[in-house]
Amino acid sequence: MSEPTGVIHDIGYQRYTGPRLGRWHVFGALYLHGLRTAFGLGRSAKAKIFPWLVMGIVLVVAAGLTAVRTQTGQVVMTYAQFADAMSWLVIFFVAVVGPELVSRDLLSGVLPLYFSRPLPRGDYALAKLGALVSALWLLLGAPQLVMFLGAAFTTKDGLHGVWTELGDLLPGLLYAALWAVVFASVGLLIASLTGKRAFAAGGIVAVFLMTAPIVGILSIMPSRTVNELAMLGSPTALIHAVGAYTLGDLLVPGGQTEDQIGDFGPLYVTVAVLLVASCVALLLLRYRKVAAR
Amino acid sequence: MSTVSWITARGLFGRRRFLLLLPLPALLLVLAIVSRSLGVDPGQWGPPVLVGLGLAVVLPVVALIVGTGVLGAEIDDGTVVHILTKPLPRWQIVLPKLAVATGVSAATVAVPLYVAGVLADSVRLGLGLAAASALGALAYSALFLVLSLLTRRPVLLGLVYVLIWEGLLGRFVDGTKVLSIQQWVIALADRIAPTELLGTTVSVPVAAVLTALVVVGSTVLAIDRLRSFSVAGETS
Repeated sequence: MSEPTGVIHDIGYQRYTGPRLGRWHVFGALYLHGLRTAFGLGRSAKAKIFPWLVMGIVLVVAAGLTAVRTQTGQVVMTYAQFADAMSWLVIFFVAVVGPELVSRDLLSGVLPLYFSRPLPRGDYALAKLGALVSALWLLLGAPQLVMFLGAAFTTKDGLHGVWTELGDLLPGLLYAALWAVVFASVGLLIASLTGKRAFAAGGIVAVFLMTAPIVGILSIMPSRTVNELAMLGSPTALIHAVGAYTLGDLLVPGGQTEDQIGDFGPLYVTVAVLLVASCVALLLLRYRKVAAR
Repeated sequence: MSTVSWITARGLFGRRRFLLLLPLPALLLVLAIVSRSLGVDPGQWGPPVLVGLGLAVVLPVVALIVGTGVLGAEIDDGTVVHILTKPLPRWQIVLPKLAVATGVSAATVAVPLYVAGVLADSVRLGLGLAAASALGALAYSALFLVLSLLTRRPVLLGLVYVLIWEGLLGRFVDGTKVLSIQQWVIALADRIAPTELLGTTVSVPVAAVLTALVVVGSTVLAIDRLRSFSVAGETS
């Protein structure tokens, strides 16, 4: 057996000696990238079509409502009701953005690359979730801001009027945040199950749309208790019930909240919290297993 | 059964994700049976179940997933080349795929709608709903099949049609109902079995003519598009 003759040459590669930014910077970068992906920023024009189509529609609707209000003084929709009226567009937006955020990574198999960084698996899922929540909140919040500006500049009561208007806007924005959190956690969980964007989009729409008629059926059942609990049947109605309980007149004028949900307000809040918590938990569980194959 | 339709059917059923199609019709059945057994007035539960869930959600969503799947899935993963390079006339590719898509969607939707229709009113309503939804499945499948040849994102474009055009605009702008497959299906079902449960503003001849027009037009366009189809990798 001869002596080994191989030599390792030092060909002058430099090591990285700069600062290492660590976990939270990875998280922040992933979140920002996710938020930009949601609106197709930094990508081709084709990727911008669908998100901005939805954004355009809600802004046009908000501008129309503002115009009606400034011309006739009639409030067609409060800020909180705006989110409810846009529910189908929100579903469509989740179906566009959710698969874009997670399904592409699953299909192209880049997850092992992500997880070889100092990035715990949970962080990846939470950053994507955060991006979707923020995008949805912007989708519902921006038009409300347009409506607020329209109302604030035409108010007859001076600064006091602006202040009252702001008092109406803030619950509306909080309600939009509730929409964003519930829809993002349910939608992203469904999207993370498949790598095919087409199937993910179809699944999200199917889940949100097929649950709506359940509420319709439960609310005509011959039992008062069942009627009052009907809104547990679908995420959209659940959000509405929580909003009706917490916001009251801002969402359901004329004090009809009692007719709709009875005394079950706290139950609705609990169920909403549980729904979000279980969806996030399942999402984290999913990312503990995914890409291990 | 031609080889193309055999391949298409296997592509649809061979994967586990086909099971995702089953909850929708199952829910329709469950709601109809529960409402019936609790003795709720059919005039109250009929419209939300038959139209609100059956014709407005289950039919378009199932047809969308199946219709874009028969050709779009092959285009997505590139295996469409194997069919395109065979010496087959293009219509022998499009028509079997359309037949499979229509058959699968119609079977998935018409059966639960028939049962729900029988429970709501009469066998006649059940048959009317089944026949009309089969025609609707044909129209939707033809439309979504040609969409998967015209664009790279057929599902999202199909959702724009289903959610925004039929769902959102159909509710607020009455005129758009004339150009909505959902309303044509309702009109046809109401013609076959006149009841109080279904109602639409679209007249039956208009619905019949437009349905035929969509089916024929989409199929011809799909055959023509497939003639000069270029297989490109995914961009953006």
